[in-house]
Amino acid sequence: MELIEELKTKMIEALNLEEMTPADIDDNAPLFGDEGLGLDSIDVLELIVLLERNYGIKIADPKQGKEIFASVRTMADYVAANRTK
Amino acid sequence: MEPKVIHRVKLTPRSLEVDGKRVAEAVAGESFLTHVYRQRQMDYPKFFKMDVLCKLGFIASEILLETEGAERFVPRADRAVILFNRNSSLNADRTFQRTIADPEEFYPSPSVFVYTLPNIVTGEIAIRNKYHGESNFILLPEKSEEAMNQAVERAFMDGETTSVLTGWLEAVSETEYEAEMKLIMMM
Repeated sequence: MELIEELKTKMIEALNLEEMTPADIDDNAPLFGDEGLGLDSIDVLELIVLLERNYGIKIADPKQGKEIFASVRTMADYVAANRTK
Repeated sequence: MEPKVIHRVKLTPRSLEVDGKRVAEAVAGESFLTHVYRQRQMDYPKFFKMDVLCKLGFIASEILLETEGAERFVPRADRAVILFNRNSSLNADRTFQRTIADPEEFYPSPSVFVYTLPNIVTGEIAIRNKYHGESNFILLPEKSEEAMNQAVERAFMDGETTSVLTGWLEAVSETEYEAEMKLIMMM
């Protein structure tokens, strides 16, 4: 739970989501597409950098991204299982 | 028929002028560009992701086009966007450089990198307003009305352009910038 909140805070900062607070981001809402947070392809790249920089995670297979970045919760699960720092 | 300036916007860190009248002044504690964005209730969340050059061009063009009062967002190919400056996308270039300067902290930022070209702002304005005419960002060794006028005159020669959103758009840092944008129509 703490990791989810931490990720939300880092995402808001990295993606310049200035109008948002962590409370505005639903743990399970899709990050991409009209129904979710509405992030774009550049945002995905920025999230990949965020995971590498903060948690030592390198995503080698781009196809994994769709599952990892489905929601903040799936991101948190992936980070918890794969972090090296 | 000859080109005539219809409206002008001047935007600096200190003030906003529309057609020579001061309509807003800087307030302490907030970026003036963000202040104008919020004050004018511009609903365009992508604004917050832009670099300062793009923010400057976005705000100046929005105010210029609001002042024009014509119907917005109708696809058209008869309006060109031609902007000028001396320092290209220097602020974004520097910001990006900081993300790769330290070998121990080498994390190139994709969202900064996309703004390391000055013509991103002309494209942003064209996409936002559905302009399909000429889109061009020209670097000049110094601010020259003569050189800028020549580029605008050339744009009108293509047989399709009837108006040009143009002007000087310089942003060397978050606090040092200047937009002198105008809308020129063939009348």
